[in-house]
Amino acid sequence: MRKTEFAIVGAGPAGLSAAIEAARAGVKVVLADENQRPGGQLFKQIHKFFGSEAHHAGVRGIDIGTMLLQQVSQQKNVEIMLDSVVWGIFRANTSHTLGVIHNSKNIHLKARKVLLATGATENVLAFPGWTLAGVMGAGAIQTLVNVHRVLPGKRVLMVGSGNVGLIVSYQLLQAGAEVVAIVEALPKIGGYAVHAGKVARTGVPILTSTTVKEVHGKDKVEKAVLVQIDKNWQPLTGTERELEVDVVCLACGLSPLAELAWITGCKFTDVPELGGHVPIHNENMETTVPGIYVAGDLAGIEEASTAIEEGRLVGIAVAEALGYLAAGEAKDKKTEISSRAEQLREGPFGIARKQAKEQLICRSLSE
Amino acid sequence: MTLLKDGFFDPEELENLPGVPSKKRLIQGPVVVIECAQEIPCNPCEEACHKKAIQIGDSIIDLPILDADKCSGCGLCIASCPGQAIFVVDTTYSDKEAAIQLPYEFLPYPEEEQLVNGLNRAGEKVCSAKVLKVLNHKKFDRTAVITIVVPIQYAMEVRNIALR
Amino acid sequence: MKNLKKISKQKQRTYEGESDLNIENADMIICRCQEVTLKDIVQAIAEDATTVNEIKRRTRAGMGLCQGRSCSRLVRKILAEHTGQKFAKVIPGTFRPPVRPIALSTLASLEEDTDDKS
Ligand SMILES: Cc1cc2nc3c(=O)[nH]c(=O)nc-3n(C[C@H](O)[C@H](O)[C@H](O)COP(=O)(O)OP(=O)(O)OC[C@H]3O[C@@H](n4cnc5c(N)ncnc54)[C@H](O)[C@@H]3O)c2cc1C
Ligand code: SF4
Ligand code: SF4
Ligand code: FES
Repeated sequence: MRKTEFAIVGAGPAGLSAAIEAARAGVKVVLADENQRPGGQLFKQIHKFFGSEAHHAGVRGIDIGTMLLQQVSQQKNVEIMLDSVVWGIFRANTSHTLGVIHNSKNIHLKARKVLLATGATENVLAFPGWTLAGVMGAGAIQTLVNVHRVLPGKRVLMVGSGNVGLIVSYQLLQAGAEVVAIVEALPKIGGYAVHAGKVARTGVPILTSTTVKEVHGKDKVEKAVLVQIDKNWQPLTGTERELEVDVVCLACGLSPLAELAWITGCKFTDVPELGGHVPIHNENMETTVPGIYVAGDLAGIEEASTAIEEGRLVGIAVAEALGYLAAGEAKDKKTEISSRAEQLREGPFGIARKQAKEQLICRSLSE
Repeated sequence: MTLLKDGFFDPEELENLPGVPSKKRLIQGPVVVIECAQEIPCNPCEEACHKKAIQIGDSIIDLPILDADKCSGCGLCIASCPGQAIFVVDTTYSDKEAAIQLPYEFLPYPEEEQLVNGLNRAGEKVCSAKVLKVLNHKKFDRTAVITIVVPIQYAMEVRNIALR
Repeated sequence: MKNLKKISKQKQRTYEGESDLNIENADMIICRCQEVTLKDIVQAIAEDATTVNEIKRRTRAGMGLCQGRSCSRLVRKILAEHTGQKFAKVIPGTFRPPVRPIALSTLASLEEDTDDKS
């Protein structure tokens, strides 16, 4: 049995930021991640991020990742356990014990406070042929192309025009693949117009009100059949068309990766604006189970920039709860962090998330 | 709105943006054209311009507003935009030609003097273009800023290039 | 597919495509880890399964290597469609540790207390 004050599951932007803030205040932290490298999604994001200077706008995601890693390495009281899968979490009186597999060893890690920052999982779409080789999630493709520098194929059909679909299309083009089309079931493009614009001006058609009907191929994808759909999502017969492609990339949204959170017994609520079932949490990001916090995509699908702010918030809240920060000082820091997060939740893309987050916090008061 | 359906602008959609200079200003010489139409949380362009020609203000979702009289068309803001929505257009390059500065992130970069295809916002080839300059400052962080020369009637149409 | 309209409406925010979960594609695999088809799942629903967990127990959908990460959402969609429930009301299956497939021998190899780092 190992002991620490604050255990964090997931070394993405949320987990890293929480570790940095808590350690700065003096908290002893253990940060576990199943990958061989910390950073979560950030190391796949080779594009420049939005936001303001305080959110590192204009800096590429990968460079924000390096920055966070540098900051965390300066903290002596943070231990990072890589290659470490957290397989379970158990409550014992006022503390929690994590089951961690590292080097084929089962380690029990006992902590007074736990942050779950496990990120998200990709939604799949089922259509005849979706299990053929060549149908892949956008996350997997991003890892292949941007981390391992391998092209998954030559001619790609992108399914979904949210920011993920648009960005991964652009990155595939940069890597030398042809993106034959982007299809979107809704009548309008889901992601930012500026992302759509930079893909459109390379000649990639973005087909709205269109979906994949089926995919054919012997052992792997050889062609995809598209079909237009009406307002009620009914396929319009006669609008089918075939495209020769060898990759179908699914970018159909993300859902919070909530297994560990379910196990703790914390209460959930369904918030479509935040990607589905999310743990109810208060303004400190603490769930309905005392001592269990959530941040980042698990607390609602948003962005790395919001994940960083939520992680920081947890870091401060935990330091305060453990007596490392006085209430007044903690409050000032939390106010500053929250206002930075709020800046990101404005406008047509953010306002629904802002309202959803506010409602979550209201619900936590009545739980 | 073709912007949200197809991913590119109607000419009218474009003219009404606060980041797009008036026709009058466009014929006076190099000036920035900011094709940013949605209230997204973003403001690096404002900070990139030392002449304070771009204003967004405290609420970072507001659209960038251009004060075209302050803009010299230097192009420093182009690479700062994570949306690659900023261009500089000079309709006074010559009698019949305009120069366009645009962001470019595909390898290989074109050579200076090279002839390339000028593409419109939908990626269609509309003319031939000559590459004048390829800038790849460290400050641009791997977004090259490329200056091309196109027939003047395409000054507000060409927004990308394709190597031949 | 009578409920498709209703379900699609509330899914609109997630930018998902229309799903093709109708029985016409009976042999389409839904759980790829366990090779469970659409027909198997619809069959289980016809036999009164009303939750993701019940479907899991009857068909093994969700018991594979990925522990339902890929298929659980699809199973929820099918359940919603065939039982007339709202998608949001169909709760994902319960999770039990271990949340990742782990060899029993590894689970049993608890680290010695001498490693205590506290
Ligand atoms: C294509 C794409 C483009 C994006 N572009 C932007 C952008 O421009 N701007 C922006 O702000 N955001 C962007 N994002 C979003 C951003 O990447 C995510 O919101 C952010 O990474 C979420 O951070 P996180 O810390 O919550 O989770 P993650 O970064 O996903 O990290 C979670 C970590 O936890 C680990 N983990 C999970 N479960 C366990 C377990 N049981 N045991 C051990 N480890 C575990 C995971 O392996 C992972 O390393 C983009 C995302 C994608 C996919
Ligand atoms: S082109 Fe130069 S002067 Fe004009 S807005 Fe951009 S940075 Fe400012
Ligand atoms: S930097 Fe680009 S995307 Fe951001 S506000 Fe300015 S013009 Fe718009
Ligand atoms: S797809 Fe069903 S368990 Fe993996």
